Amino acid sequence: MSRIKFDVLIIGAGAYGLSCAWWMARRRTGARILVVDEGEFASGASGRNGAGFRMQWGLDLNIRLCQESIGFFETAAEQLEYPRGIELKQDGYLVLAHSPKALATLRSSLEIQHRYGVPSELLDADDCVKMVPALGRDRLVGGTFCGKDGTISPFLLLDSLLKACRREQVDVRYGTRVEKLARANGGFSATVKDGTIEADKVLLCTDWAVPELLASLGIALPVKSLPKEAIVTVPCAPKVKPILISLEHHISVNQVARGSIIFVVSRAREGTEIESTPDFLSFAAPKIVDLLPGVADVPVLRTWGGVSSLTPDMQPILGETEVEGLYVAVSSFRGLMTSPAVGRIMSALILENDTNDPVLTRLTPRRFETGDLIVEPLLNQE
Amino acid sequence: MQRSVAIVGAGPAGMAAAIEAVRRGCRVTLVDEAERPGGQIYRQAHPALAGEEHAEPAELARKQALIERFQRIVGKLDYRAGATVYAAFRNGELHISEGGRTEVLRPDATILATGVREIAIPFPGWTLPGVMFAGGAQAILKSQKVLPGARAVVAGCGPLPLVVAAQLLRAGGEVAALALLRPLTDMLAQPRSLWHGREIVRDGFRYASTVRRAGVPHLAGYVPVRTRGTECLEAAVLARVDAAGRIVPGTEREISCDLLAINYGFVANSELAAMAGVRMHRDPVIGGWLPVVDGWGRTSIPGLFAAGDGAELRGALVAEADGTIVGAAAASPGVEASPDFELAAAIARRARHLEFQKAVRRTLRLPIELWRLVTDDTTVCRCENVRLAEIKEAMASGHRSLNAVKRNIRSGMGWCGGRTCLPAIASLVELSTGSAPTEMMTPRPMARPVSFAALARRGKAGPT
Repeated sequence: MSRIKFDVLIIGAGAYGLSCAWWMARRRTGARILVVDEGEFASGASGRNGAGFRMQWGLDLNIRLCQESIGFFETAAEQLEYPRGIELKQDGYLVLAHSPKALATLRSSLEIQHRYGVPSELLDADDCVKMVPALGRDRLVGGTFCGKDGTISPFLLLDSLLKACRREQVDVRYGTRVEKLARANGGFSATVKDGTIEADKVLLCTDWAVPELLASLGIALPVKSLPKEAIVTVPCAPKVKPILISLEHHISVNQVARGSIIFVVSRAREGTEIESTPDFLSFAAPKIVDLLPGVADVPVLRTWGGVSSLTPDMQPILGETEVEGLYVAVSSFRGLMTSPAVGRIMSALILENDTNDPVLTRLTPRRFETGDLIVEPLLNQE
Repeated sequence: MQRSVAIVGAGPAGMAAAIEAVRRGCRVTLVDEAERPGGQIYRQAHPALAGEEHAEPAELARKQALIERFQRIVGKLDYRAGATVYAAFRNGELHISEGGRTEVLRPDATILATGVREIAIPFPGWTLPGVMFAGGAQAILKSQKVLPGARAVVAGCGPLPLVVAAQLLRAGGEVAALALLRPLTDMLAQPRSLWHGREIVRDGFRYASTVRRAGVPHLAGYVPVRTRGTECLEAAVLARVDAAGRIVPGTEREISCDLLAINYGFVANSELAAMAGVRMHRDPVIGGWLPVVDGWGRTSIPGLFAAGDGAELRGALVAEADGTIVGAAAASPGVEASPDFELAAAIARRARHLEFQKAVRRTLRLPIELWRLVTDDTTVCRCENVRLAEIKEAMASGHRSLNAVKRNIRSGMGWCGGRTCLPAIASLVELSTGSAPTEMMTPRPMARPVSFAALARRGKAGPT
């Protein structure tokens, strides 16, 4: 194990970890940055998610994080020098309501979206079905639509970030699990299988697993794990042009550039089970047929599981912990779609102590002590 | 309560296991994808299709004997022909799809008798219509009773290419060449093994005699290196390789044909075992992953057994004996302490046929250099159109495991779930890095695609 002391050790090589590393390397040439991940390439939550992004939120900070990030996705091929591109598809995002109450919540969010320049619009049930003929009409009352929202390939975003990081001399090591984190010599020492890693500062990007590492330093952060499961179909003719999310069904639907349709299904359970569960398909299939009768005959190719993080107010946690030099970036289930903005904000905070971004004040890890929780109307309606 | 045993696959191992488990008084469910029992090796044509079989009479007699034994007990079985197991879980559940519906089985014991599939070494032009697995060509002969091509080149290693060449000839086809990587006479180095497999050896001599009498040119040590043809196969180009598997320059021969039937051996259909979480190991000779089993077919998961070629490639006769043994172990826990006469006989039979398989195995070893037949432009993963160049680029970026390669270039993510390309990619990683990946690609549901409509319609179909 090398004896060099790193400026920053980032734990977790998902979208947050790699994006933060890339932004740091760009911000300070020569910075010694190490990213470690216990798994292999794209094996965690970032590589398992449904691949959609949207700026249709009900809260300014989510809108701004996503707007900035979508701007990055649009130019990622150039910025990350990745000619293959990240399979960006901006065919819009349709948020569906199956009750008047849900539609009222969507309608009220339009106001703040329009204030921030989000080109979203209200649709009635007929408009929705015209846009996606495969949709079922039962109980559907309408939705909101934004044509700038869309999808990318998580694998390609991660690969482009990984290659860009390595070009900028960031050291990225897979298969390296940090067993324990301790303060040492004015910085930190991380215990790994074959020795220790020394760093001035540490950024935790392990999402739902953040509490485990914080515990070794005596810090508690109320981050829970939220298992989700996903389904991908065989490639088929275009059936779902925009991405869909149904607030009632807890299902998001994304037909990617290759023609496969990806469904991400949430159900109330806890745990860190990352593989498909036996009763998942019998739970999900009737809901999917109810939401989208037009896909009933499409064959399912594969299922997989993933775990995302969940915070008490369902908002990310970004900032320095009570231990100086120790930072966290927890996504609360929107890591991929906010990763570019979070990378920029965290790199400025960690390398330049720049706390000016208003997002940082509100997303601070301290808010759970002070009780300053955030309310996102689109998430808190049930 | 009556013990329930589910068996996946109705080839020799699955049929024998079903017979044994019924004999021991179990409630047996047998799930098989095909309409008729037999598996790949004992595949049966639709009864209405006329035409004789071209296999050796002794082989046909073995097939008939087993199928007749099976038919005698089939009334006591819950036999699901035309049904598919699309998922298996550690908790013992088997999820099956049948007639547009899906159903969950929760048996006391499960025997996976899922058999094998053929190995392909991709080469330029291998995706041209007219190029197929030798076993695939044989399946067309067996089940459809038609010739898969008028003028064939048959190539590969092990005994199957010889058998297929002979059967094509007997069906009235022309065989322009038989190219074998290793001479079958390699088996003669183990005369004791040959004696134990004398009934198979006799069949082999008869097939060889069919090929010799027809004057089929034998290209010893040749392999197909590319094809010619636009819409479909017009000619195969073969070249000789040395003992290390490297092409010998200047030995190319072009042979016009409309069928190129290739078999480089087999890998186990072990996805269901791996999906359930069974401990797996890689077969050191031919590649591919196998469930770790003991002599009774027991895997690392209690109640989950594997039998026949799906547990280890050893041919139909071993599979049949193995099916009886594993069927007994699944049906009667503790039976190993006091085997009855039938079980003891099956154990002895399996031991004898295993001796013969040692000789067969010698002919199946693929030199790693042979994988250089795959050129940068050759499509390796046909479902996702992944060429070797892309696999090399992923490996150069440090992605060496099958999972990491998959996440990078999508190899193995298509329709077939990686069944065709993953053994190839494992060997290509070995060729490029000097060591084979230790882990197989994580197998997830679905083992076969099933529609949402079928997944939403639960429960066994009623009588129609």
